[in-house]
Amino acid sequence: MSEERFSEAGKNLSLFKEKPAKVLLAKPGIDGHDRGILVLARAFRDAGMEVIYAGLLPTPEQVVDTAINEDVDVIALSLLNGAHMTVFKKVADLVKEKGITDISLVGGGTIPEQDKPALEKMGISGNYGPGTPMKTIIDHVMKRAAEARQKKMSGLH
Amino acid sequence: MNIDSIVKGIENGDHLSISRAISLVETNCVNDNVREIISRIYHLTGNAHVIGITGPPGIGKSTLIGRLSGMLHDSGKKVSILAIDASSPFSGGSFLGNRIRMQEALSSRGIFMRSLANRGISGGISRSAWDVVKILDAAGSDVVIVETVGAGQADLEVRNLVDTVIVVLGPGLGDEIQAVKAGIMEIGDIFIVNKIDREGAFLAIKDIEDTLAMSPGKKWHIPVLGLNSLNGEGYQDLLKVLDQRWDYISGDPGFKDGRLLMELRAIVQNTLLSRVEESFAGKNAFSRTISGLSDKTTDPYSAADRIIGKIYLKGD
Amino acid sequence: MSGKSHSFWEEKLKEYKRLLERENPEYGEWRSGTLSPWQKNKPASGNFENSSGISIKEVYNGSDLPDGYEKKYLGMPGEYPFTRGVYPDMYRGRKWTMRMFSGFGTPEDTNKRLKYLIKHGESGLSIAFDMPTLYGYDCDSQRAEGEVGKCGVNVTSLKDMEVIFKGIDLGSVSTSMTINAPAAVLTAMYIAVAKKQGVPMSKLSGTVQADILKEYIAQKEWIYPPEAHLRLIRDMMVYCTENIPRWNYISISGYHIREAGSSAAQELAFTLADGFYYIDLGIKAGLNVDDFAPRLSFFFNSSINFFEEIAKMRAARRIWATVLREKYGAKKPRTMLLRFHTQTSGYTLTWQQPLNNIIRTTIEAMAAVLGGTQSLHTNSYDEAWALPSEQAVKIALRTQQIIAEETGIPDTADPLGGSYYVEWLTTKLEEEAYRYFDQIEKMGGILEAVKKGYIQKEIASTSYRRQMRLESGEEVMVGVNRYQEKEDAPIDILRISQKAQERQVLRNSKVKSERNEKAVINSLNELEEAMRNEKLNTMPYILKAVENYATLEEISNVGRKVFGSWKEPVIV
Ligand SMILES: Nc1nc2c(ncn2[C@@H]2O[C@H](COP(=O)(O)OP(=O)(O)OP(=O)(O)O)[C@@H](O)[C@H]2O)c(=O)[nH]1
Ligand SMILES: [Mg+2]
Repeated sequence: MSEERFSEAGKNLSLFKEKPAKVLLAKPGIDGHDRGILVLARAFRDAGMEVIYAGLLPTPEQVVDTAINEDVDVIALSLLNGAHMTVFKKVADLVKEKGITDISLVGGGTIPEQDKPALEKMGISGNYGPGTPMKTIIDHVMKRAAEARQKKMSGLH
Repeated sequence: MNIDSIVKGIENGDHLSISRAISLVETNCVNDNVREIISRIYHLTGNAHVIGITGPPGIGKSTLIGRLSGMLHDSGKKVSILAIDASSPFSGGSFLGNRIRMQEALSSRGIFMRSLANRGISGGISRSAWDVVKILDAAGSDVVIVETVGAGQADLEVRNLVDTVIVVLGPGLGDEIQAVKAGIMEIGDIFIVNKIDREGAFLAIKDIEDTLAMSPGKKWHIPVLGLNSLNGEGYQDLLKVLDQRWDYISGDPGFKDGRLLMELRAIVQNTLLSRVEESFAGKNAFSRTISGLSDKTTDPYSAADRIIGKIYLKGD
Repeated sequence: MSGKSHSFWEEKLKEYKRLLERENPEYGEWRSGTLSPWQKNKPASGNFENSSGISIKEVYNGSDLPDGYEKKYLGMPGEYPFTRGVYPDMYRGRKWTMRMFSGFGTPEDTNKRLKYLIKHGESGLSIAFDMPTLYGYDCDSQRAEGEVGKCGVNVTSLKDMEVIFKGIDLGSVSTSMTINAPAAVLTAMYIAVAKKQGVPMSKLSGTVQADILKEYIAQKEWIYPPEAHLRLIRDMMVYCTENIPRWNYISISGYHIREAGSSAAQELAFTLADGFYYIDLGIKAGLNVDDFAPRLSFFFNSSINFFEEIAKMRAARRIWATVLREKYGAKKPRTMLLRFHTQTSGYTLTWQQPLNNIIRTTIEAMAAVLGGTQSLHTNSYDEAWALPSEQAVKIALRTQQIIAEETGIPDTADPLGGSYYVEWLTTKLEEEAYRYFDQIEKMGGILEAVKKGYIQKEIASTSYRRQMRLESGEEVMVGVNRYQEKEDAPIDILRISQKAQERQVLRNSKVKSERNEKAVINSLNELEEAMRNEKLNTMPYILKAVENYATLEEISNVGRKVFGSWKEPVIV
């Protein structure tokens, strides 16, 4: 079902036809509360995505390194400890530094309203808080994944 | 990133390019991109020692690869890793869980590692694994390590993908080891008993040696090593054995011929198969032949011969 | 564990299965004769299942309880098996302790706060630490960036502890420190401050959490592999048993297991399984169970399914007493007492319609009191999105005071004792726990189960199932998936100014420039040797390093070198 939606959202994906969206789920920063991210990981998988969970306490460098090696479509970041303005930014900066334009960044966690515009500006979208319906998150990640794929494709020729 | 820059990037060992190339070959249908990339980098392949690591789930394969690749890297070798994970048969989604175990060793050294979901193909290895290995090889790797879902019989296929198969087992597998053994005893070039910090390691080594002794001797003497992948015990021996193995392979000019033939056969097989699928797809496929069959103006065998001729010839 | 203990769980499980498999003719007759005709026109709607997946019947009666239940399984308060409470007079003698725990940025702030509390009659101090401290990193570590002083106080070296307790007589207060992986180091620092004050160890009193097993299971704040931490905890147990008679060195915590998404039954089972492991650890270290078991206390979650929570707490007491006596041969009744602290559930709080949280917390707090808790922390209604405001904290405290002083709930011990439903549910949860104990034993023990990721996966599955039920509306959260109103998330996070970190970094570099570097290196080297020698007790070496002003990270790095660091098994 979701896979259909995925190909709908980014038409003409023939090149990656049989490839599901690939998502890196990461919780950079020192914080071991992983209930939410583990639920997301399962939900993403059950929605047909290929999920890489970066494990606990990855550094922003490790996150970006993984994203490159795995050529993911989306890096989904989550933080509950309030350090998103420093940590998310670090990830976004590293992505930019490496010259990557075709991997989407999505955020989530305890993110106050007033921080969202700044995050959007860094290219980090979504920024969903606790209690957001899973479907909303999945749809958004799928959409951003399709965008990334589209960019990857149009860059080919 | 276009194909030109990707190919150039592979030549230079650039991670972004390698990674994108893998994404392009990582589909189950061979498309023009795959053909173009492979044809342009093929002359660069053949220099890497391709090592397959297989064994039952949770035995410590990923941990082992993390440590081994770190040590190989520190001794001046360029290492790349491909890890194949199982897909969920229901949703098509999957967790690529091998990376976590190696992350630390990789990131700090800049070792390239890629996870691949074996999209529903039982047997452990995706079709695209062949091409991924070529890309990693062409990127200047001295060693390419492939971790496969070790499920007994199922991953015999790894034999055709790599130069050296390392089978990882562990102490205390009991009956399990018997079942596993049935499938993978024949394919191992090196056997490892991991987790020797645990009870029963000695027995397991002995057991494997006994089993090996029963099969006829080959030119390559199959070693059995004990490892502790948490603290590195036994790894020096493993490095030594790998060197010996590489010398052995290098001393045999025809070593890879068998594998090249297998790959060629697989490609032809797959290509034909997908052409068959293609030509039979669609509602009105072969409608003329079908009416010929119902009119009895032809018979199934003659009709099939004609179609086979067409399929073989198509495209080239 | 031995072969004998193996069959212990099997026997228990059999016993409980027998207890619960009962004929109930009255219920059968009632169903067919009264209920069914009634339901013909209005079938029951809704989902009658609790968090543990136990389905609840329409009604319970006497036949749901085994014969002789009251005598053998219930007893009276203060008597074995302590189902009805650990003290004979329960809250008539003394109310539960209203312990409100919180953290404050710098050691100076914490010191001020502690002094304020002492002035207002508190003698039980409670300290929370920031993330870098919990993970064994110094304030100037790269990993600490943006984290120093958030959610708790930062302790990098003994100097910080000296500031925290400046002007506070450690001989006359009792201090509870929420610290796990580096518990031995913080305990050593506490001892060192006391020594400087001239207070002998025998006069110190306090608690460290030091429950490392639940870290691997749930909270995930560890430094080394489990065996290494357990070794250090063993050393601390032995050292404190010999030197600090009033130091409670492990607070076995189900709270975090529950917050990680487990069910009540899982919280019960995994927490007690951890507890039994610590008992084994002490016995293996040569301690007598009656000497050290009384130092272990528990920490439970009180969530929103009222009767399930009460039953869980009653079941916990009964299991602990029974197992300590029957399996471990405890002699003194004190050894068999399961005393526990409770905190209301953070998981059940919502940012939507936040005032509803006051009601949730009230119900959960009532469950804790009816479950016989020894102390209680009530969450503030704004905790789902912010560090609690003063007003919210006050309401949370008032909630406890109202229960204690207006409602009459504490007037009699275990008021729900004898309720068919509660007694049945208590027994049923026990059965669930024994099933887990048996299974864990068969996997090679709790440590193996944790290292394989089995426990974590069990919890993740429960948590995922619950989330899916919430998504589908099968389970209800008022204001979240039913009776919603349009509102924006009021998320507001505490922004600790960089100043806290700067101040800590400054102090730390001063400490480093003033200390005797050679002494530091020597004591760290000695500590390394002690860590490598399983037979030595590391506590005196840690104490020495601490006294030489080696930092928390320097000390932790010795362990990292000796034991390695830990990567958890893949649990998704
Ligand atoms: N005691 C001990 N444990 C080990 C050793 N090597 C690995 N482990 C542990 O074994 C568990 C599984 O390790 P992995 O490396 O994920 O095993 P794997 O074979 O790659 O697992 P899958 O990819 O899931 O099939 C982890 O908890 C490791 O820490 C060893 O030598 N000794
Ligand atoms: Mg693996």
